[in-house]
Amino acid sequence: MKTILTPLLLSSLLIGLTGCKEPTIDEGIQPFSVPTSVDADGGNWRTIVLKSATDVTVPQPLPITSDVYKTELSAIKNGLLASTPEQNTAVNYWTVGGVLRWNQIARQLVAKYNVPPGYDYATGQVSPADVANPYAGAPYAARIYALLSIAQYDALVVAWRAKYQYNRPSLERQGVVARVPILDVPSYPSEDAAIAEASCQMLAYLFPNEVNWLKAKATEHKQSRLWAGASVPSDIKAGEDIAGTLTPKLIERARNDRFAASTDPANTWQTALVKAPYNQKWKSLELPERPPILPLAGNVKTWYDSTAIFRALPVAPPATTSAEFQQALSEVRDLSDTRTREQWRIANYWENGPNTYLLSGLWNFLAEDLIRQAGQNELRTARTYALLNRAMQDATTATWRAQYTYFVPRPAQLDPAIKTATTMLNTPSYVADRATVSTAAATVLAYLFPDDATRLNAQAAEASLSGLYSGTQYRFDNQAGAAWGSLIGQLAVTGAKADGAR
Amino acid sequence: MLNGNAYFCITSADFMRLLTYFTTAFLLTLTHQTHAQGLAPGILDGFMKGQRKASLAILASQETYSTYYVNTTETKNPNLGTVTTQALTVVGTYGLGYDLDLIISAPYIRTQASAGYFPKQEGLQDVSGTLRWEAFDYKLGKTRLSWLFAAGYSMPMQEYVSDALVRLGHGSRNLDGRTMLHYKAGPFFLTGQYGYIRRGQVTLDHVVNNYDPSQLNPNSGMKVNVPDVTELIIRTGIVTTRASVDVWGQQQTPRTEGTNIGPGIPFPTNGVGFTRVGTTAWLRLFGKVGITATASTTLSGRNTGKSTRINGGLVLGL
Repeated sequence: MKTILTPLLLSSLLIGLTGCKEPTIDEGIQPFSVPTSVDADGGNWRTIVLKSATDVTVPQPLPITSDVYKTELSAIKNGLLASTPEQNTAVNYWTVGGVLRWNQIARQLVAKYNVPPGYDYATGQVSPADVANPYAGAPYAARIYALLSIAQYDALVVAWRAKYQYNRPSLERQGVVARVPILDVPSYPSEDAAIAEASCQMLAYLFPNEVNWLKAKATEHKQSRLWAGASVPSDIKAGEDIAGTLTPKLIERARNDRFAASTDPANTWQTALVKAPYNQKWKSLELPERPPILPLAGNVKTWYDSTAIFRALPVAPPATTSAEFQQALSEVRDLSDTRTREQWRIANYWENGPNTYLLSGLWNFLAEDLIRQAGQNELRTARTYALLNRAMQDATTATWRAQYTYFVPRPAQLDPAIKTATTMLNTPSYVADRATVSTAAATVLAYLFPDDATRLNAQAAEASLSGLYSGTQYRFDNQAGAAWGSLIGQLAVTGAKADGAR
Repeated sequence: MLNGNAYFCITSADFMRLLTYFTTAFLLTLTHQTHAQGLAPGILDGFMKGQRKASLAILASQETYSTYYVNTTETKNPNLGTVTTQALTVVGTYGLGYDLDLIISAPYIRTQASAGYFPKQEGLQDVSGTLRWEAFDYKLGKTRLSWLFAAGYSMPMQEYVSDALVRLGHGSRNLDGRTMLHYKAGPFFLTGQYGYIRRGQVTLDHVVNNYDPSQLNPNSGMKVNVPDVTELIIRTGIVTTRASVDVWGQQQTPRTEGTNIGPGIPFPTNGVGFTRVGTTAWLRLFGKVGITATASTTLSGRNTGKSTRINGGLVLGL
């Protein structure tokens, strides 16, 4: 009997082994951030698209002694006693930070829609995939993050101004025991409602297919603050109204930023290629060949001084016939032949290619930890992202301008034996966007988080080199990109020094 | 050995799984290798080695594909061409007892594509160790039916590139549990086996940056789960003391949905499965020296190459 039991037990162990489902990707658990400052002067900070915070009028709230307010307040107090698990989940989710959460949502959507048209084996043609997006590429992503961050920042400056103008006391100061830590600022208007609506409306413009999903998120965000005991409905309503006035102005700016034309429907890039001031011309290395990614994205309107940016357009790299160029090419070849695992890792870490949230998304991700460690409040978080993302969008625009001015061939075009650790991007080589964008990003972040400056600069240096390790860029692509990125980052820092925030 | 996945379900099966982990860890472990580039099921058959008997096999294989499956749809990629994978594998088998064998294998692999820019990958892949136990042996007239169990563990011998179309392996550490029914009547034999391969997490070179509908917040860091697979193998043939020949079918099925090959999708999270058929022959040359050869082909698959493979090698009894 015993001998039969043993195999039976083992069989059940085997079946037991199969009894667990696993998700594809694990999610981390985020701590609540406890802001270190309320930034009471935030209403005076310089806005970006609005001329100033006074551009949007926030009506005077009812006094807290009014019956209407008292009813609102007691409803919130009663609500706190009857919470559901779903409400708790929502409260905890949004307490991590409205700006951070909407930034994460944007990254998810960028990754979802950053799908370039693909090669279809069935037809042998380059054809759109199910969700193919003709705008997919780095300029697409960088613009989305910038527009979102600016909407959030301007909305919050307006909200902060009204908060300290009307000084409606926070609920906690009126005896409400909130479910989560709440920033001790006047409650009217709700900063969360301003963030939720501004983000939702901005992203709905950028991702029209996601309107319903975004609206559901925004509703949950706003309600979570009622459930948490942070705001009353009239606070929320005033926050929503700020976004309602602000976002159309920002969408107007987005409509006229020349991004829509960046796909170059008239194929003017072919003429530009012929006239390019470089001795050998880029060609698509894909099989079959396809047109480049957003060839006119170098014309997109910049956030910082465009004259200063484009005056710094790097000169053409050494001609392919020069000894200098041949040396640069053979360096790429040598690295491709002897690539170490560590070099592969670096190339891969910074790639963020098609179907991902892209390099600008990675820097948004990296900034998250810095923001949390520094305990930045919503307003300051929005400022960090608005500075970072404007600099990155401009750096991306600059990169594209250089790429479609010179049309420098990728290393593998001249030496087909070069193998790449990452996807060969269908754009010209000079300058390297990983260098321009990362250096600009690190310059901004190092200014905002001086304690981390050394590490950030090291990251930017690694990111700049990563294209060389990939086998997709020459060293001079990286150097020219990094120098230009540094200049753009400095423009952003200069702006940051004068925007009223300390 | 417990990996993070254990947190994601609290079922009665957990206790069982724990027990399995423990048992396996205690036995010091080891697996039938299970990766796409490894050997055919040749390694784990129903034939016990016998107490204090050992054998050493050195096998060379070549596998090629120019068509691969994205999910289950066949595709070709002009930017990839034909992928050729060559492997040299050493397999040692030792009879710890009349009913208990230890099998260890270690492959060295080289894989490369004929077109495009994917670099060649070369190096040591996963070492695996398996304990095979003949738990039960029934005599049915002149025939025998035995019931076997095997538990194994495999892990990469080095941190090779696993997040690429042209890669050495999954990069995960795996636990493998399986059971076998082995029937032998004279020279004829029939073996059926069913196994479950639990794959541990893989750390990517980059932060997870792709879209996953189930992913509420994108701060999942660099670790991803690799879908577990179940495996079914049926094998039949004729075996004598001088030679053997058999045919087999092997089916691996991902147990969780996983992802499908696509730009931006980490390769380790893909749900990989296949149905392969093959034939294996063995011939004793002289004394304890024999040669073996296998040919196999892929009938259907999921996120893997539609490959054909041949392998040959030397088997030494020790």
